[in-house]
Amino acid sequence: MIEIRKYDLPDARLLESNCDDAELLVWTPPFFCIVMGQSGKAAEALHVETVKKDKIPVYKRPSGGETVVLSGHTLVISYLKKNEPLRSPKLYFNRYNEKIIAALRGLGVEHLSRAGISDICIESKKILGSSIYRDKDTLLYHAVLNISETAENIGKYLKHPAREPGYRQGRPHRDFVTSLTDRGYDLNPKLIRSIILKKWAEDEKFDQKL
Amino acid sequence: MRFIFKFPDIGEGISEGKILNWYIKKGRQVKSGEAIVKMETDKVVTDIPSPHDGVIAAIFGNEGDVINVGDPLVEIEIEGAEGKIAQKIAKEEPEAMSKETVDEKSFGVVGSLEVAGDAARLPAGDEGLPPKPEEVPRRKALATPVARAMAGDLNIDIGKVRGTGPAGRVMKQDIRDYYENLQKGELKVTPAAAAAQPGVLPVEYTPLTQIRKTIARNMSRSKQNAAHMTVFEDVEVSELVKLRAKYKEQFSQAGLKFSYMPFILKAVAAALTHHPDLNSELDLENNRLIYKKYYHIGIAVDTDNGLVVPVVRDVDKRSIRDLTAGIAALAEKARERKLSLEDFKDGTFTVTNYGSIAGTYGVPVINYPQAAILGSGRIMKVPLVKGDEIVIGQVLPLSMSVDHRIVDGGAAARFILEVKAYLQDPVSLFLE
Repeated sequence: MIEIRKYDLPDARLLESNCDDAELLVWTPPFFCIVMGQSGKAAEALHVETVKKDKIPVYKRPSGGETVVLSGHTLVISYLKKNEPLRSPKLYFNRYNEKIIAALRGLGVEHLSRAGISDICIESKKILGSSIYRDKDTLLYHAVLNISETAENIGKYLKHPAREPGYRQGRPHRDFVTSLTDRGYDLNPKLIRSIILKKWAEDEKFDQKL
Repeated sequence: MRFIFKFPDIGEGISEGKILNWYIKKGRQVKSGEAIVKMETDKVVTDIPSPHDGVIAAIFGNEGDVINVGDPLVEIEIEGAEGKIAQKIAKEEPEAMSKETVDEKSFGVVGSLEVAGDAARLPAGDEGLPPKPEEVPRRKALATPVARAMAGDLNIDIGKVRGTGPAGRVMKQDIRDYYENLQKGELKVTPAAAAAQPGVLPVEYTPLTQIRKTIARNMSRSKQNAAHMTVFEDVEVSELVKLRAKYKEQFSQAGLKFSYMPFILKAVAAALTHHPDLNSELDLENNRLIYKKYYHIGIAVDTDNGLVVPVVRDVDKRSIRDLTAGIAALAEKARERKLSLEDFKDGTFTVTNYGSIAGTYGVPVINYPQAAILGSGRIMKVPLVKGDEIVIGQVLPLSMSVDHRIVDGGAAARFILEVKAYLQDPVSLFLE
């Protein structure tokens, strides 16, 4: 058995905040951990023995999607929007992922595109995954950008997901996931963060959380 | 009036979702826009709102159930069905709703029933997407509720089904017939029909069969993941040809077709025991090689429906006669489409005999994640130099692709040389 911790990572408080409009949090996870989607099951998603042996904390987030690894080598973009009418999630995935693509392009990253339902790829390899939680009038968009985490570390703890986007085509983590460092981009996370915040601010009003 | 609200495509292009929790119970009053259920799809956890005011007459599915897009979520008794609300709904959603009046045995529905049409969905945005060509509005097909539900279950566009009921209404038998034809691959747009439209080049659209989808997926996966490298070798198999000729009649009397395949399988299995890399699998997730201590060899079988690769198990432990019978049984099952999942499982290496049709050499695609595949071409009579003389010999051309991430060039060459040695001197196989 693996202990699933209460989701108390830095963006957890967004859902409990009293903000009236929107809040954006672009943050670097403070330690290596695993976050499962709302109905994820450890036995199906994780190499349980390895996770236990290495004492990796496991959380369950409120949003959907497959299990992800967070670490100091990733950057998380969490955006909460209140009083948002119920619209197609695709609209939000496209809108926010395009902002991140634009930010990365501004930093010189090439061959970026949206892929699957909610991923961003460099050529055919995934560099960002995102998910959404929403209730009647609250939207929480959550994305993980891989700056320099290794695919080996991901494959070490995560099993091949039961469901996968068509473009993955059965590829194991090592052949499917990449990072900015992998692709030769040596970018400071603080710089990426500031550009993402700037891009967001172009057409969204939000409270900026550090 | 009752309204069946179906799980809508929430705009991701997903096909299913999990019911996380119900906010309502049977008999409860709901308002339009009020959340009735929390659903989880691949990437989203979201509340689904009620499309109308009314009273919940039925709830379909329990928390934890996975349901398909188009499956009923709730049935709502809409207030003032004959009055203002119903009229408003009918006015607002002429395409998304239809009044069903044809009885067909289904869920014990009595009287008239309105169902959300296949067009029902939450509004999806187009932001960031390329502009779509202008779509021609299509009239909603007349269909019974059962037919519509069946079409949803089978992922059939009901608008394409020709209805045989009153006024061309689509009945459940029409869906069954359409689905059977789809399975047989008989639904095509004929070149004649296409040619009738000016400016349209004649093409045929044939739905992919499941087997073709699987072949396509596996071939792509192999080419994307494995580093293919192919070696070729000619094997002088005159002794093998003589051996087969000698025992062919004996096998025939036992009802068996005596081919070269059992010898090739035996030669491969014997060589694999000395070259374990070729019987292994790369597990990059865990940075290791998995060496398989069993020799289950897949044989590529050409059928009318496409290529299938059933597995001959424990080749190293079986006699030539037993393998002959086993291969014949698998080939027959393949052609009659009776192979089960068990017949495909656990292959460690694959042999493909394209020479039985035509061809000498090929570059076979590895049956990923296996490490190698051996292709055998057609045995040909060729002039050979033996000593200082030219003699007529029988040559079997072999082509073997390996995953170069696992198998080095030297290892591949040594393996194929060992297979060659066994086939040149088939009696040696019985000495192993």
